[in-house]
Amino acid sequence: MFYMIKLENVFKSYILGDEEVVAVKDVSLTIKEKEFIGIMGTSGSGKSTLMHLIGLLEQPSKGKIYLDGKDISKLTDNELSKIRNKTVGFVFQSFNLINRFTVFENILLPTKYSKELLKFDPKAKAEDLLKRFGIYERRNFFPNKISGGQQQRVAIVRALIMGPKIILADEPTGNLDSKTGEEILDILGNLNREFGVTVILVTHEHDIAAKTKRQIYIKDGQLVERYL
Amino acid sequence: MVNIKEYTHLMKAAIEDFRRNKVRTALTSLGIMIGVMSVVLLIALGLGLKNYIEDQFNSMGANLVMIMPGSGISGGTGAGMVGGAEFDERDVNSLIRIPNVKYVIPVFFKAAGVEAGGEKKNSYIMGVNEDYFRLMNKELIGGEEFTKSDVAAGTKVTVLGYALADNLFENPTDAVGKTVRLENLRVKVIGVMEKTGDNEGDNAVILPYKATYGSLNPKKTFWSLYIGVESKDQVTNVKEGVEETLLKRYKEDDFSVTDQTDLLSTVNQIFNIVNSVLIAIGSISLLVGGIGIMNIMYATVTERTKEVGIRRAVGATQRDILLQFLTESLILSVFGGVLGLIFASLIVLVVRIFFPAAINLLSVLITFGISSAIGVFFGVFPARRAARLTPIEAIRYE
Repeated sequence: MFYMIKLENVFKSYILGDEEVVAVKDVSLTIKEKEFIGIMGTSGSGKSTLMHLIGLLEQPSKGKIYLDGKDISKLTDNELSKIRNKTVGFVFQSFNLINRFTVFENILLPTKYSKELLKFDPKAKAEDLLKRFGIYERRNFFPNKISGGQQQRVAIVRALIMGPKIILADEPTGNLDSKTGEEILDILGNLNREFGVTVILVTHEHDIAAKTKRQIYIKDGQLVERYL
Repeated sequence: MVNIKEYTHLMKAAIEDFRRNKVRTALTSLGIMIGVMSVVLLIALGLGLKNYIEDQFNSMGANLVMIMPGSGISGGTGAGMVGGAEFDERDVNSLIRIPNVKYVIPVFFKAAGVEAGGEKKNSYIMGVNEDYFRLMNKELIGGEEFTKSDVAAGTKVTVLGYALADNLFENPTDAVGKTVRLENLRVKVIGVMEKTGDNEGDNAVILPYKATYGSLNPKKTFWSLYIGVESKDQVTNVKEGVEETLLKRYKEDDFSVTDQTDLLSTVNQIFNIVNSVLIAIGSISLLVGGIGIMNIMYATVTERTKEVGIRRAVGATQRDILLQFLTESLILSVFGGVLGLIFASLIVLVVRIFFPAAINLLSVLITFGISSAIGVFFGVFPARRAARLTPIEAIRYE
């Protein structure tokens, strides 16, 4: 299996009022195993939709998506949820932590939804990851009591707890100052280098995309040769 | 396939949430609590009333067979003074010969005024024999009962009911030795009964049936006949014997033979209907409580839309989300139900001082059954809304 993700002539459209809006138009794309790739585009370019399609949060209107060898366009909700749980980890711009849960509870959340017997001790693994990312002391805090950089680290640990093959990061530095942003980008780079995780970074900033090994550009829902 | 571990996690999470929202949880459960409390209380009071009436019947003895004119109480057509057989001493004499009959009490019954020392009160005249006192199973508080020879001779003596004696004289026991007047008949009071608790018994003028012959009872007939049977097991046989004997003289529709079980089952039928109606009314408050839960659950779903999105993104299935919200509404309503049951029990404990109200296993089961049914029924709509949110719309919700 030389590819991790393959899109074949994928379309995604929405009905907005009585108008059909095409967010992703005829996109074909192959992402290899252990790649660190940047998807670039302005807001409204369809880059987030593309990421949601890759992350199985949405189903394409047309076309095929293969993930880890499986055609996911025909899977049921249960099967999609299972892949999201096991194979994909999300890191969002706005962190998307649950504020009424502590850091530790947030990190353990994906393990609660595993439909298979876990091959690791969730608490031990969570503690280990918390230490590795320097937020162990914050484990019993609620997310709104820690800094943005710390929240994003928590989100990364949550994305890693199930040992995913793919990390999808949607503008992960968008809510952070540039120094903290750099740190988060370094973490993502390390994940790719040291853990061999496929990292897909969605951003609108050139210098952030430049940290990745390959960049693709999207404009008006279509892949373009070069981003202008 | 809900595994136990998954479910305990859901329960723990739900209870954690309730601890964070104590006031809201309490108020939501309050509706169910009141509903369950009213239903359980109504069942308890209904049961109590039934027990009370059964006790009253049993105090008259289970070995009693009653003969009434007309086709009878359980038959549904007009039992009473009108129509049917008019029993007399011949019947008493033939019935006493039936095997296992211990005694036969002729009952002449008439509502009449009774006068003493210028006071006139309403009373119930009971012309009976000495065995009536055995049947009543009550003590006298003063004086003595009339005897077999009083009955045979038709002596003009009487035993008064407690309330009547109390109304006519300063002290109920003062009545003993005094004379009272029933229409044109003057009788001497020789005893006063203890309280019986029913209106007829407490206002009775009990006298030997032969003493009523004359102006009170010119036809020398009886309204009904009570038969004491030696033991409970022989009641059915005796009833058959009684019917056989009476059919020689009367037509089938002119009399009815009943025992306590017949009467009790009629009374029980009536109570079951009354009880069902009361419980149906009580259930309205349960319904209102359920709607309260649904309301709060809809609010909770809206409030947690983003959370639903996050959970879906990290791998929760639609079913996981459905179960999460369903568990919350289930716990809310069962919590309310248990509280309702506890409060109802406390009230019943107090009520029991005056009245034999009772909570049985059935009410406990109904409580859990109904409150969980409400939790599921009213929880399922909000929970389905949450489960059907698409992950992306949910996660973008602010």
